[in-house]
Parts: sequence; structure tokens; C-alpha cells
Amino acid sequence: MKLNIDGLLVYFPYDYIYPEQYSYMLELKRTLDAKGHGVLEMPSGTGKTISLLSLIVAYQRTYPLEVTKLIYCSRTVPEIEKVIEELRKLMEFYTKETGEKNNFLALALSSRKNLCIHPEVSSLRFGKEVDGKCHSLTASYIRAQRHSNPNQPVCRFYEEFDAVGRQVPIPSGIYNLDDLKAFGRKKGWCPYYLARYSILHANIVVYSYHYLLDPKIADLVSKELAKKSVVVFDEAHNIDNVCIDSMSVNITRRTLDRCQTNVETLQNTIQRIKETDAAKLREEYRRLVEGLKEANVARETDIYLSNPVLPDEILQEAVPGSIRTAEHFVGFLKRFLEYLKARLRIHHVVQESSPQFLKDIYEKVCIDRKPLRFCAERLRSLLRTLEIADIADFSAVTLISNFATLVSTYSKGFTIIIEPFEDKTPTIVNPVLHFSCMDPSIAIKPVFERFQSVIITSGTLSPLDIYPRILDFRPVTMASFTMTLARTCLCPLIVGRGNDQVAMSSKFETREDFAVIRNYGNLLLEMSAIVPDGIVAFFTSYVYMENIVASWYEQGILENIQRNKLIFIETQDAAETSMALEKYQEACENGRGAILLSVARGKVSEGIDFVHHFGRAVIMFGVPYVYTQSRILKARLEYLRDQFQIRENDFLTFDAMRHAAQCVGRAIRGKTDYGLMIFADKRYARADKRGKLPRWIQEHITDGSLNLTIDETVQLSKHFLRQMAQPFRREDQLGLSLLTLEQLQSEEMLQKISQIAQQLLLGRRQLVPQPLVLLAKPPHLST
Amino acid sequence: MAALSEEVLLVVKRVRQRKQDGTLYLMTERIAWGPEGKDRFTVSHLYADIRCQKISPDGKAKIQLQLVLHTGESTTFHFANESTALKDRDAAKDLLQQLLPKFKKKANKELEEKNRMLQEDPVLFQLYKDLVVSQVISAEEFWASRLKLNSVDHALSNNNKQEVGISAAFLADIRPQTDGCNGLKYNLTSDIIESIFRTYPAVKQKYAENVPHNLTEKEFWTRFFQSHYFHRDRINTGQQDIFSECAKQDEKGLKSMVVQGVKNPMVDLMSLEDKTLDEGYGSLTALPNSSKTVKENSNSAIIKRFNHHSAMVLAAGLRKVEASSDQASETSSTDGNSRDSDFFQPPIKKVKLQEAIEYEDLQNESGPKTIALNLKKSDRYSHGPVPLQSHHYSTSQDIINSVSCIQEEISCYKPCLTRVMSSSAASSAITALSPGGVLMQAGAQQTISQLVSTDVQSELKHLYTAAGELLRHFWSCFPVNTPFLEEKVVKMQSNLERFQSTKLHPFQEKIQREYLSTNLTNHVEEMIQAAYNKFHAWQTRRMLRKT
Repeated sequence: MKLNIDGLLVYFPYDYIYPEQYSYMLELKRTLDAKGHGVLEMPSGTGKTISLLSLIVAYQRTYPLEVTKLIYCSRTVPEIEKVIEELRKLMEFYTKETGEKNNFLALALSSRKNLCIHPEVSSLRFGKEVDGKCHSLTASYIRAQRHSNPNQPVCRFYEEFDAVGRQVPIPSGIYNLDDLKAFGRKKGWCPYYLARYSILHANIVVYSYHYLLDPKIADLVSKELAKKSVVVFDEAHNIDNVCIDSMSVNITRRTLDRCQTNVETLQNTIQRIKETDAAKLREEYRRLVEGLKEANVARETDIYLSNPVLPDEILQEAVPGSIRTAEHFVGFLKRFLEYLKARLRIHHVVQESSPQFLKDIYEKVCIDRKPLRFCAERLRSLLRTLEIADIADFSAVTLISNFATLVSTYSKGFTIIIEPFEDKTPTIVNPVLHFSCMDPSIAIKPVFERFQSVIITSGTLSPLDIYPRILDFRPVTMASFTMTLARTCLCPLIVGRGNDQVAMSSKFETREDFAVIRNYGNLLLEMSAIVPDGIVAFFTSYVYMENIVASWYEQGILENIQRNKLIFIETQDAAETSMALEKYQEACENGRGAILLSVARGKVSEGIDFVHHFGRAVIMFGVPYVYTQSRILKARLEYLRDQFQIRENDFLTFDAMRHAAQCVGRAIRGKTDYGLMIFADKRYARADKRGKLPRWIQEHITDGSLNLTIDETVQLSKHFLRQMAQPFRREDQLGLSLLTLEQLQSEEMLQKISQIAQQLLLGRRQLVPQPLVLLAKPPHLST
Repeated sequence: MAALSEEVLLVVKRVRQRKQDGTLYLMTERIAWGPEGKDRFTVSHLYADIRCQKISPDGKAKIQLQLVLHTGESTTFHFANESTALKDRDAAKDLLQQLLPKFKKKANKELEEKNRMLQEDPVLFQLYKDLVVSQVISAEEFWASRLKLNSVDHALSNNNKQEVGISAAFLADIRPQTDGCNGLKYNLTSDIIESIFRTYPAVKQKYAENVPHNLTEKEFWTRFFQSHYFHRDRINTGQQDIFSECAKQDEKGLKSMVVQGVKNPMVDLMSLEDKTLDEGYGSLTALPNSSKTVKENSNSAIIKRFNHHSAMVLAAGLRKVEASSDQASETSSTDGNSRDSDFFQPPIKKVKLQEAIEYEDLQNESGPKTIALNLKKSDRYSHGPVPLQSHHYSTSQDIINSVSCIQEEISCYKPCLTRVMSSSAASSAITALSPGGVLMQAGAQQTISQLVSTDVQSELKHLYTAAGELLRHFWSCFPVNTPFLEEKVVKMQSNLERFQSTKLHPFQEKIQREYLSTNLTNHVEEMIQAAYNKFHAWQTRRMLRKT
């Protein structure tokens, strides 16, 4: 149907529309109009992706000069492919309606592992191997060597692409990963490099978070994307963790050992080159004297995404003289390495800030801050000069030099923790240096500053106002949408007690309690008898799940559950879990029914949907708090408290509840689906927990569904399931939760729709710290 | 003695029943016992009636065999021949063990099925009462067509009969019981053994290798329950037993399953992440550590075991289906002819992706695909079969034409006020057209529901269904082309006559007594009459042909 969204003609490839989709598009339109950022929470399974795509594509077509590109970031490969397929559907609809072939180019970009068509390289199993092998075939000096030595193997697909692939742009159309591969095969071009090249002029790019957020990759891939782009982070509830992960470094003794070998190799290579080709090293030296001006020029034109590892002022300067020659640099690295080794030789935990670390390193081995900051750039240059084929071998020394650059660049937002052993095994010496980022805004800041609109959206973003605070940006729209339902197809229940009235909770004091474990078992047993097809149960951690499964096994509870359904359990091994998952789906498919025991924060909870009969009930055993004893977490909590005035408990609860919501939300997709959401912990009944659930779940929790016993839960569930099993036709939905075009145009309906979105009040928005202040004073200047 | 004609499979002498010596006979269809010196059986049970047999435990002084019937009664035989009692009993037991299951399934299934049908369908039950209980037709006749009808519905499922799956908890059903003197007793049934074999083919193989020659059956199972394999992690006996190989085989099977990977790319966790962080980056505290406690290890072994067990149970249920689908996938992979999975992966992936992005309620044409009704003559469909002799019938086109004709006439009708009717003629026309008037006679008739009391109505309904059923039987015989059908049609005709005399006529008399118009049954009579006509026509034709 063709919609009129606030004056914009939007093609929507379906005959019907959910009211919340309309509302979502309205908000999105407003955000784009204002050229600002937005935070939008929309219930899972209400067609968020297609609404986003429909509106932004329409916007792009109508105002081609305002928005030139859509960068859609999603989390997993299947998600990326799904987005492309939805886009294909939309484009087919455009073609059908307008009768003309539009010249949109949309493509997915993924790692080499998913795109490589080289017969040998693509047969490797792990991404890292593929990258390494690819690099050894395509690096520039390898190809240069080929001129002198024709036997040097190169990748013919890359050669072909390099020869002709850039001259003619890829024909417009929608390219999924498989389409790219097919196209690459047809032309004999490397799909990976083709895709990387094509994203520069594509109208829509779909790829994973890392390509924008991880500075190491973003620098390579996304540097040249146009400023007038709209960036969408879908499934963004975990975006802060992605940011933090990309900036944190862990150094173990093993890393240092490998680094040692790397440095030795470097030294030998330098020695050899010095004897054979000294000119090369001289050339490098000259380049370094001139400094990084080249990069500076590029940045000034404001086309490039800034690299947080490489702060602006570095570009003004030349590489300091002390590390300019190759030998000096290697010597410098050695000293740094020895220092780190010494730091790891400790018997108690040390925690310090970056300035403290820098002070200490200056006192002990006289390493200045400045050369440290150039460490990463200097190493990159050296590796290039030395024509190192297999970069993967040098991962250890790259890691160390990245660490050096980070620690000397950022005085705030990071902490260094050195632990001599793990908490669980105090007898085994295993020292680790954690350099951990505590401020997710560091990684994402360039994105917010660079692109005109950034949309953060997910099914679970509650409470909305916390994201702008921890990511340090100022949205123009923040809205949470409810789910309009003709029948209440989700049934959240909070089970607080067993039939013996013993409180159920996974809190630390009682989690090993026999009665609690038994009650959890009974709950699962009872549910397995009444819920058809699939049940998914989530535990708070692997260790907890293993313990509970073992004691259920000893008590014979599992045997009884097996009478009703098959049991599959997530393990720490991804391949094993995949198999269990597939078998689980098979068992649901053929009518046997099955139970999947899984872990919140695990891979299953983050990436797999349990739609329709694959998940008729989700049981969340306990509140999935993060392991609070970790020092890294404690440091982060402190930082949040000091910098953003977020109390520890607020953040922990927020974090636990977003994961709980994520787990239970996996079961609902669309309004024809239905599922029970069982929160098995009495703490969920408290207002501070309940209030942090997404609005679309919260509004279905009535007073009657709080603190239930197992028996009551079973009664309510039975009632719910029986109701849901009745036929559900389109007519039941029409006009309520499903609209035709005519219905959508009625005044009354528009009135109703305007209530779906809950805007955050302006007063609350003022809690957001002003990013401008930080802008004026870059953090690294404060030392 | 009718039993003489039966084949006697086993004769056991000196068997006591109710303190009386006698002889036990096991025949092809029943088990019988006669007291000594008499040539008749005082006890005789069809195998089909026996629910199960029980035996006295080993070591008991009395060696007995008990038969429990479906009715709940039981009969106990005491084997009294001192020297061979045990052997006798076991021989009888083993033979029964073979025979009983055969009869059990057949007899029970049919009875249950009939029972179920009668309970589920009140109309059928009424029909059964009307026709069978009042002996219009015999029970067999009644069921003959019914069950066939039913089996037509299930034809598909019967053709490739679904195998019964395995309960996931079958190992749990073997609950060990202590026998009081420091031992454990496991009760194994043939079902459980079959489950074990089907789920764990490795055990079956071991059984085949060892049982007759190396071990007795009992020893085999004893070892099985003692083995580390069965207990897996509960007791870690280091001893080498024949099942340790099975464990290894299982492990291998599990590994190969894992290595094979999953077919559905949507659940493949390995390729979920696009780009994993390089080693050393990230803030994850849980670095992979090898230092696991013993307890943790055993816990994860339990988890592994559950996954494996469930997978095996699932596979055992699906084995047959898989055999055919395997072939399909094999052919598809052979023309893909490379280990590059790209060639045959896309189809599954495409389908799964499409599934994942589909919103069934947003689309219009969704929903189960229906088959379009293909009508050659839509007129006949909308009018139903109309007797051909009724000389004129109008097609829908005619009707539409005439309606439009009338509409047209009405639209251009102009009252001609000079030539109106006289008032008396007009008023008489109005009375004729108002309810109760001459022209409205048909419309004014009261419906049956108002005239007739409810019990008569329900009786009439029963009559209709019964007559309908009989007529269905009757008409289903045509065309009569087999001797069996000839016989049946004659029988059916007599059944109809019987029905008329025992059911219909009493009803007619009854309604006459109640001064109701007899035309209530006219239609039934007509239907039966039509059947008679057909029958006579058929008979005369047959006579003609015979002569």
C-alpha cells in the first residue's frame, strides 16, 4: 500500500499494516527531518525492519540530496541476510507499483569467511584463518613480488577484480551475500573486495556493528562513507557492550611470550633487509619524518570517519625521533615488553588509571607518553616496510602496540587491572593485565559526530533514557511503542513461590538452596506437561545451569520431564549447541515437543528466535545479573556513578532486565504468534525490576500475575493456552491491530495511533549530559 | 470337544489349578486346562482376552503362572511336577510371551476403535441402538461398512504406518528396586529392551555379538546395568567391560554429528557472529580456562549425555523417514559434487530466510492453499439434481433474464388511472393475498416443528437416520457385479422390509393415534419405495438374463 507519512509518500510492500508500524514511521520521519539521532523501542516481531526500510528508502528517493546512504547495522549474519531479503521485497514492490526499474544499489558486507570464493581459502573453517590466508595472497608486496617471480601464488579473483572490477560499478540491484558470491563467480571477481569497494557508492549498506564501532575495522572499511548517511543500529540493546569490547585489551603471559618471538622475528628481518635493501628502510624513515600529513589531509576534508585510536593532534606531528628508525623502534618495543613482563610478576591485584600507568612506566623504564602514542602507527608502517606476509602471526605485537597507543591516548574512561590469578583458582598463577574500556561513548562518538542521523532501535531498550546517557549523545526523538493486540498473545507471569510457599529466587544467598532448586524443577515439570511443542528455559549463567541440571538429575526431576518432552541443553561449545538447537527444532517440528535449557547472555539468547511452536513458553529462572564480583565490572560501575550519575544498582538492574526481556522476547514474532513469558523469581515482582521491562511487556503484567505459586501459574497458563489455541482470523484483528489503508486514513484511527508512541518528556531529557562540553575539551588533553 | 480340531502347541502335565491336578494345553488361539481324567476343559481363555501373565519369582517354593484377563479376573496355574516344574513353567511362559502380543493388538484395537467411535458419535450410537440392538441388521454388518469407511480416512496413515516413537524417559522407567538382601532388581519388559536397542544401536550390536554364545540374556542385562555405560558418571568404576566400547562409539557418533554441522543456517551458532574479536581484545572475563573442577566436569558430562540421549531418541523415531530423505539429499549432493557447501546450501537457506521475514497477517494471499472448485456445469451445482421428468426447468440465466425483464417492466410501469379496478374486486384480491387468503395457503401452513411434539420429532429424526443408513447400504450395492454384492442386496432388501415392519409401521400407527397427518412419514416411505422399485427392476432383469 502507499502511505502518506507526514507528507512523504511511502511504499509499504504489504496490504495491511500494524498501527505501531505507522507510528514508528512517523517518529522516524521526524528524526530524519531534524537531522538528529533517535532512540526507538518497538516490540519484537512487529515488523520493525520493514518499517525502517520503507521509510528511509522513500526518504532517500524523495530527498536524494538530504540522505544519500543508509547504513544498516545488525548483529548477526542471519539478521543481515534477513534485512536484505526484506529490502528485496520492498524493491520488488516498488518495481511493481511504479512500473520502472529503480536504480538502487543495496548490498550486504560480511567478513571474508562468508564471502570468499577462492576454492582453497574458503574451505578454511575459522574466520581468522581465512583472513590470514587471503592476506598472504593479496597483500600489495606479494603481488609486487609476482612481477619478478611468476610462481608466487596470488588470488586470481582478486587480480581480476583489481584489473577491471573498479572501472564499471556493480549493476544496481539487491545483493545478499550469496548474490555477491554468484556475481563474483560469474565475473571471476573477488566478492569481498567488490563489496568493500561498492559500499562507497551503494545506496544501502547492511553490515555488522563492528564495521562501524571497532576502530580497527572501521578505519579500513567505513572510513570513506558519506556524511549524509542515516545509520541504523538494529538490535541495539547491547550496543554499549560492543563498544566496550572493541576498545578493551587483555594481556596474558602467553601474549607476552608470543610478542617476544614476534619482536625477535622483526629484529632478524630488519637485520636481513639492512644487508640486502637498506634503501627501503631509509625511504620509510623519510616518510615518517614527513609525518602523518597524508592522513591529516584526508581528515580535513571531513569525509573520513575519525579513528579514535588516532586522535587528531597526532596528525599534526611527526613520529617522534626516538622510534623513527626501525632498530630504535624494535628496541623500544623490547623495553616496553620487559616492563609489561615485570608488571605481570605480582602477587596481589593492582588497579590503576592510565596516567598512573604512564607515570610508572616513565619512572621505571623511561618510556615517554609520546612515542607510546605512535606505537600502533609505527608498527603498521614497519610491517608494511618489512613486507610481512602473514599479519595473523603478528597479532600479539599488534595487540601490545594498540594497547600502548590506547593507554597513552585516553586518560579517562579506561582502567588497568592486573590480576595474578583467577578468583576461582587462587593457587594457579595466571597473571592477566586487563586494560578495559569503561566508557562506551568513546567508540561510538565518531559515529554520532560524523553521521547526520543515527537511529538506535531494538525490541528492548527500556529504560530509554539510559542509552543517551551511557552513549553520551543527544537524541531528538526517544519513543517507546506499545503493541496493539486484538488478543493478548503474550502472557507474562511472575512466579515467586513454590507450592510449598518457599520463595523462588536465584539470589546469591538462596541459589544453592535445595528447596529453590526443587521448586524450579517442579515448575519446569509442570509446564512441560501443559505447554504444547517447545519450551525454552533460560538460566542466569552456565555454572548455575550446570549445577541445577546436575541436582535435577540426582533428584529424578529430569527423568519425569523426559516423560513429557525431550531435553536439550546449551553447552559452552558452539558446534554442540548448534546441533542441540537443530534437534530441538526438529523435535518441535515433528510434534514430540522439547525443552531447551539455555543461558541468558549466551549465544542462543542473543541470536536465535523461537517463533511460533518453537517457543510456546519461555521460562526465565532467576534474574540474570552479571557476575558482580569481577573487578572490571566494579570499576565500570564506579565510573558510571562518577561520570554519569548512574547508581550501581540501577545499572545492574537495567542490565539484568534488558537481558531478561531479550530472552523472553525471543518467543514472540508477530501478532499471530503467542507465548507464555514466565519470570521465575520473586524479585521480578518489585517495582524497580518490573519498571525496567519494555513497555509492551510491562503493560500486560497485571496485579494478578505477580508472585504466583506454581499451581496458580499452571492454572493461568492453561487458560491462556486454551484461549490462544482458538482460531485467529484476520477479521478479528482488522481495525484493532491490523489496518487497511482506508482504516488507516480515518481521523479516529490516527488519533489512536498517536497514543501508541510514548514520547519521553523533555524534562527527563535534560538529564542527558551535554556532549558539547566534552567536545570542546578532548579527554587526552586533560593530563 | 471342539478343541480337537485346533493345533495344540504345548501340553504340560501335572499342572494344578484350584488345588486340582490337571493338564495345561496351549493352542493356537487359546489356552485351556482340564482336570485329570476328564476330557473337557474347565478353564479356557482366548489369548485375545488375556491382558498379561505373571510368574512367581525365582526361588519361591511354588512355581506359578498367573493369567490376568481384561475383565480383571485372574487364573493361577501351579506347576507341580517337582523335577521339571521350572522348565515347564518357563516353556509355557515363553510360548505365551510370543503368542499374546499378536492377539492383544488385533483384538484390542478393533474393540477399542468401535468403542471409541460409538462414544464419540452420538448419532452413530443411536443408529447402533436402532439397527443392531433391535436386530434389524447384525453387528458385523453394521461395522463392516463403518470400519471400512473409517479406514478410508486413515488409508494414508495405514499404508505407511507410522512407527511408534520411543518415550524419552524409558530408562527412567526401569526403576531399580532393592530386593532386601543388598541387591538391586531391574524390571525389564520387551518394550524397554526394544527401546534400548533402537536408541542405542551399539548395545544391540553387543547383544547380537555376545548373547547366545558368551552370555545368557540375563547376564547381559545384569552387566549392562552394572556398566559404567549405563550409569555414565554416577559411579566411576574403572573396570573394563563390554560396554566401554559402546561409550566410545557414542562419543564418536556425537562428534561426527557435531562436525557435520547443522543444515539450517539460521541456527548455526558458529557462523552467527560476523566478525569475532581478535584474541586479546574484549572485556569478557570468562577466558577459556582448562582448569575445571571434577564436579564441573561431571556436570558437563551429564549435559552432554542428555543432549546425546535426546538426539538418539529423536533419531530412533525418525529413522524411517530419514532413510528416504537421506536419499534425496544424497542425490542433491552428488550433483553438487564438491564439498563446497555453497552449491546445495542456498535452497534451504533461501526457504528459511523467506520464512523468517514473512508476516502472515500483513499479506493478503496467505493462508492455506485451497483447491479451486472446478465446475463443468455450474447450473447443476447450484440447483442440485433435479428430476429430469419435471418437464421444464429454468437455468439461472433464464431466471436472471426474467427478473431483469420484470424489473424493466416495473420501471416503466405507468399507472393508468382511468382504467382501475372496481373497489370490490380490489378488496377481494387483497384478502386473497393476505395471510390465510386463498392465494397464500401455502405460506400459511404451519411448520412441522409447531405441529408435532418434540419426542415425536426426535423419533422421526432417528427413523430418518436409520432409514438413511439402511438405504446407504442398499444403494452402495449397485452396480451389483459380484456374487457377494448380490447376496448383500437381497439381504438389504429384507432388512429394509424388516425395518418397515418393526420400526416404521409402529411409528405410523402412533402418529395416527395422535391424529397427526400421516404425511410425516411419506417421504421415508417414498425413499424406501424407490429402493424397492430399484430392487424389483434389478431382480426382473436378472431373471430375464437367467432364462
